[in-house]
Amino acid sequence: MRRWHSGVTGAYDLDMAWGERADPGRLGREALAYADTLYHLARYLTRSPTDAEDLVQETYARALGAAHQFTPGTNLKAWLFRILRNTFLSQYRHERHNPTVGGLDTVAPTEPAPAQWLRDDLELDRLRKVVGEEIERALMSLSDEARTVILLDLEGLTESEVAAVVGCAVGTVKSRLARARAALREQLRDYAR
Amino acid sequence: MTCHEARDRLLDAQRDRLTPEARAALQAHLHACAACAHEERAEALLTEALEQRLPPHAAPLALKRRLAAGWPTPAVATPGSRRRWPRYLVPAAAMAALLLVALPLVSRRADERDAGRMVAEAVNDHLRILASQHPLDVESGGMHQVKPWFAGRLDFAPVVRFEGDADFPLRGGAVGYYLDRKAAVFVFGRRLHTISLFVFRADGLPWPSQGLQRVGGTQARVTTSRGFTSVLWRDGELGYALVSDVELADLIRLAERLAPGA
Repeated sequence: MRRWHSGVTGAYDLDMAWGERADPGRLGREALAYADTLYHLARYLTRSPTDAEDLVQETYARALGAAHQFTPGTNLKAWLFRILRNTFLSQYRHERHNPTVGGLDTVAPTEPAPAQWLRDDLELDRLRKVVGEEIERALMSLSDEARTVILLDLEGLTESEVAAVVGCAVGTVKSRLARARAALREQLRDYAR
Repeated sequence: MTCHEARDRLLDAQRDRLTPEARAALQAHLHACAACAHEERAEALLTEALEQRLPPHAAPLALKRRLAAGWPTPAVATPGSRRRWPRYLVPAAAMAALLLVALPLVSRRADERDAGRMVAEAVNDHLRILASQHPLDVESGGMHQVKPWFAGRLDFAPVVRFEGDADFPLRGGAVGYYLDRKAAVFVFGRRLHTISLFVFRADGLPWPSQGLQRVGGTQARVTTSRGFTSVLWRDGELGYALVSDVELADLIRLAERLAPGA
């Protein structure tokens, strides 16, 4: 049984029934295996190695506190991601400058762009040649929400799982992801000019 | 199918989330609509760039140790939690104990995975050199000609300690990529074989810490993969990947000349 809450206050909002036969040792082993994945997301959210370490450590502490709520057999990675995101929202985000580029509420809905550049191979050529540092810079210029959905999608989470992590409807995830990727492409186009 | 509908489905198509019918309808639209076909290519290239070139950030080992050793007890007491404390504490203690035991294994596996990724990238980059019709941006007239050519083309100055000789003649150089960063590529020869040396900034990469062997005056990771041997080592701020299908002994001999302390 899994019932996601839409609250964002922390792991304790995760209303997942405790499996009485859950093996805490196995849960811990599996949870630690996601340390790199969680740290990767944390680095891109916090922009700071130190803050990312603190965020991951707090995430594991909260996960431990809510371990009794985890249902074995459900997606542990998505569960940990949600705890990390909730922790980030509650502890880090309000302290930081939040860029507006690619803000999910400010980016216009996706419209077919002018045919002039669509037919231009310049963007395709640019995307083929873009290096990691440029992609990182473009990604970091997006809003927290945009960055989060892009990174969760890259982690292989389904739209339903991303929706559970960020606490919104599946349809919202779909449109957020499309707008976030459009904003990312726009940033990369700007670098090419 | 309209353009809006087609673009809504591009990512679903990438992720194999479309029914065969929907996929066929999308393909039909893409064949007929150049603008949406462009969008499909751009979205595919964006995904490829994100998946393959976005710098990865691995958790520091110290953090992993802290997670295992200092696993804290719950800090927040929610209403009604007093009755559940024993249930929190038992799995906490068991988990902490087990993590202490499991950490070296997890760390070793992570090290192997990271090393595998770096080796695979080196071999792929070498294959690109072999497959290219014009692999060299600058033909060699000697190291004094090749090294200056990189000035202004890289954000670092490649340090190469061996200039080539009759056994391993320097054929030339080129600008390439290693994972998410630019690399100076030096191409040496050994009879009819090609040997690629990639020099790149070493920071932020998951350098293997286990399974190393002494090469020259440094510790290097020597791996054979897909018929190619690679030697990876780090020297200060620069990383080196030497790859070829020559005999292992020959490659080690060249690596010893290139490595620090040689």
